[in-house]
Amino acid sequence: MTTITATSTDLFRHVTADKAALYRAIMDVFAAAKRQYRLQLRPDEVLAGATWSGTPPAQEEVALALEQLAAWGNLESQPDMARVATLSDYYRARFLYRLSRGGEAVEIGLAAFEQTLRHRAELQTVALEDIDSRLRALHRLLGEDIVDVAKAHEVLRDLVRVLEDLAANAQTFMAGVARSLELQQADATTVAAYKRRLIEYLERFMGDLIRRSDTIARTLHELSTSIDTVLQLVAEREARDAAPGDADERVNEARRRHDAWRERWRGLRGWFLTNGGEPPQAELLRARARAAIPQLLGAISAVNERRSGRSDRSADFRMLAQWFAGCDSDDDAHRLARAAFALNPARHFSLDIQTDEDVPANVSWLDAPPLAINPRLREYGEAAPRGPLPRVRERNRERELMAQQLAEESSQVEAARRRLATGHPLRLSEIGELNAREFALFLGLLGEALAEQQNPDQTVERYTGDGLLHIRLEPMSWDSRAQLHTPAGVFSGRDHVLTICTTQEGA
Amino acid sequence: MNARASRSTARHVGELQRLQQQDEFRRALRALLLHPLMSSQHTEFFAVRRQAERLREWFAREAGWPLHVDREGARLFKRPTDLLDATRGLPDYDRRRYVLLCLACAVLERADPQITLQLLGERIMAEVADPALAALGYTFTLRSASERRELVTVCRTLLDHGVLERVAGDEQSFVHDSGWQQSDALYDVQRRLLAGLLAAVRGPSTWPTGEAPGNTEARLHALVTAHTADSEQGRRDALRHALARRLLDDPVLYTDTLTPDAQAYFFNQRGTMAARLCEATGLVAEQRAEGLALADASGQLTDVAMPAEGTDAHATLLVAEYLAQALRQTRAPLHVAEEEIAAFLRKAVDRYGRYWRKSARVPGAERELAQIVLERLQRLALIAREIDGVRPLPAIARFSLGEAEMRTTGISSQAALL
Repeated sequence: MTTITATSTDLFRHVTADKAALYRAIMDVFAAAKRQYRLQLRPDEVLAGATWSGTPPAQEEVALALEQLAAWGNLESQPDMARVATLSDYYRARFLYRLSRGGEAVEIGLAAFEQTLRHRAELQTVALEDIDSRLRALHRLLGEDIVDVAKAHEVLRDLVRVLEDLAANAQTFMAGVARSLELQQADATTVAAYKRRLIEYLERFMGDLIRRSDTIARTLHELSTSIDTVLQLVAEREARDAAPGDADERVNEARRRHDAWRERWRGLRGWFLTNGGEPPQAELLRARARAAIPQLLGAISAVNERRSGRSDRSADFRMLAQWFAGCDSDDDAHRLARAAFALNPARHFSLDIQTDEDVPANVSWLDAPPLAINPRLREYGEAAPRGPLPRVRERNRERELMAQQLAEESSQVEAARRRLATGHPLRLSEIGELNAREFALFLGLLGEALAEQQNPDQTVERYTGDGLLHIRLEPMSWDSRAQLHTPAGVFSGRDHVLTICTTQEGA
Repeated sequence: MNARASRSTARHVGELQRLQQQDEFRRALRALLLHPLMSSQHTEFFAVRRQAERLREWFAREAGWPLHVDREGARLFKRPTDLLDATRGLPDYDRRRYVLLCLACAVLERADPQITLQLLGERIMAEVADPALAALGYTFTLRSASERRELVTVCRTLLDHGVLERVAGDEQSFVHDSGWQQSDALYDVQRRLLAGLLAAVRGPSTWPTGEAPGNTEARLHALVTAHTADSEQGRRDALRHALARRLLDDPVLYTDTLTPDAQAYFFNQRGTMAARLCEATGLVAEQRAEGLALADASGQLTDVAMPAEGTDAHATLLVAEYLAQALRQTRAPLHVAEEEIAAFLRKAVDRYGRYWRKSARVPGAERELAQIVLERLQRLALIAREIDGVRPLPAIARFSLGEAEMRTTGISSQAALL
């Protein structure tokens, strides 16, 4: 609408006028008549055709209202030339009424307005199915040698209509969820029912969306190469339908229509396929549908919260205030507070009495050992000394010493490893004497190998825990003996053939 | 790695997990004992939520305390057994403030999710107009600074417990006479925590007019008395719960404060009971002839610490030693006059005063200090207040002066000389 003139505002005056109900009832009759292709109505037909709330108004009243509506421009009137039977009828101005163009527009507008207001937030699963089937049909059509433009046009028109519906619905759904006004004021049972419905619905829709949007996206993708020619043909066909004109105008019209179709197609693609950096609309819708669930839960918990507490808490607190006010002393109030609120933290003695032996239960506190209290705390009332912090000690020398010891130790271990890990089979009885470091390594290896052994006659092979050495231990006959001399004493047992190799070359 | 090794590793991991679970359970349990009304902002709330089921079961079994845990917070309804203890109310509260707190809660219960300090004050004034309160002589206006301070104290209590959350502004300047009408604060009301504030077994407003408890003693019992099953087992459970409640919440349980049947049960069961409670809470049982105390070695599980640092705590420790010594010598119920304690503190100033705060050293300050000290000792159930004096209770002997080993190294003896 470009400008709102004085007359066009007049058209809406009957909605807010004193007798709005009467006017609306009359206009409803005319809207119904229009739907039934009746061109004009007489006042008595209006009176008979309208559904009045309460007692029907007098004929004069209706006539006056009709006159007023005609004055506002909602209706057009013309003198009624029909024959009359009485004098009074003849003297009374008689008119036939029909909807004016403006009045018709207002009716359409009001109907749309009403529909939008009543519109529930909903997501259509049927729409997805329709889109899918239409796209398939289109795909089939394009697969044929000669494209049937009429059919393609029909399919495309269908597709656009369905998508428009879906988009409009999705829009209302998103707005509706964001507001969740419906839930805020609802009582608990409504919320519970709504919750069940919404969750079921969302589940179904999201399932469908996931399932279908994938195939839809694929079909769209397949169509994308050949669709433009079809759109071109459809646009030309449409241009032929449009009002006639010269050839130039026809070409222009066709181009305009083609652009429009391309735009629609882009819109359709945008719903299911990623467009540049933007996620597809379907994805957004899915995200919003998912977000609707926590919102719903929030609304439910708010309702539950209102219900929680068996008694009226506010009244409880007021009564409690009186009880406190009625206390004889602050001590009584404290006692009452502990019982009423129970907010007090636990209270315990700190520090346990440190004794070596358990004190029997029947020893009096007077005879039991007392606390070990930090003497500083006992003397000064402070656990940590005042004054500057003690100086930080330099520990470079100790560090050096430690590093030296570590180096020495690792070189000894290395030497021991060289001595034992020869890679050649070696009988334990041939090893002879081992120094402390070598013996420690030997014992470690033996321990690892023996841990693997299920029975004493088994040959064991394994890698050490650090993975650096490979050990093979093969027992010899039962009566063989091996003795190892170490600084700690003599180690003896059944003789084995021991093979130790390093796993790292050159190590 | 062979199968045996992996099995033992698995066992090791399982063991570790069990230990971690146990540790988390203990942390959560201790946190709840300290903060029975816990908002979701508390550091241990996560642990409480994870262990909710175990905790609920434990508290219900051991102490009969209901525990509610949900997304917004946790509430342990620590119903007390010892209704005589007057030292466990809210800090810095008196009768007037309790009334105000209740009225504030009544207002918040009916309010929108957000409220301002000014509005809260006005609504409370409207509540005070209730004839029943007026008949008790209660008045409240926002006109004087002291009344506004009372309101601010109440708000801070609610803020501390997470019932209110400050969104904007602050309470600081609200108290001052100039410009208090301009200063305001905006709060979010946490309804879940507000609903958990009242721990009463039965809502005070649910009593029919004729049967409503008429005096403080009756009201106290009306708030905490729950139904107990009328069977042998029911009575035993009730006894056990009553004892556990005191052991978990109070510093010490003296046997002579128990009724004869509770005493009999206590003598039989105290060992196993203490062991069970200590295992879960990490407390240490101190079992003596006169009673049982569950002590906390870390000193965290308490609102009054002893020993602690600072002048008041030091003076408390010295008086405790003094009383313990006296009790050890007489070994009989003892009455010590408050005068005597003040005199002891006066003398203590000469020896320890240089470490004390200045206000405690001036002549005459010993009386005030004595009051502080005695209140601390009373809170810890180490003394009983009597007319003009105190009676030291047996557990005070744990603070006797032992043979202190002063290992003075060069540095610390220097510090002592300074």
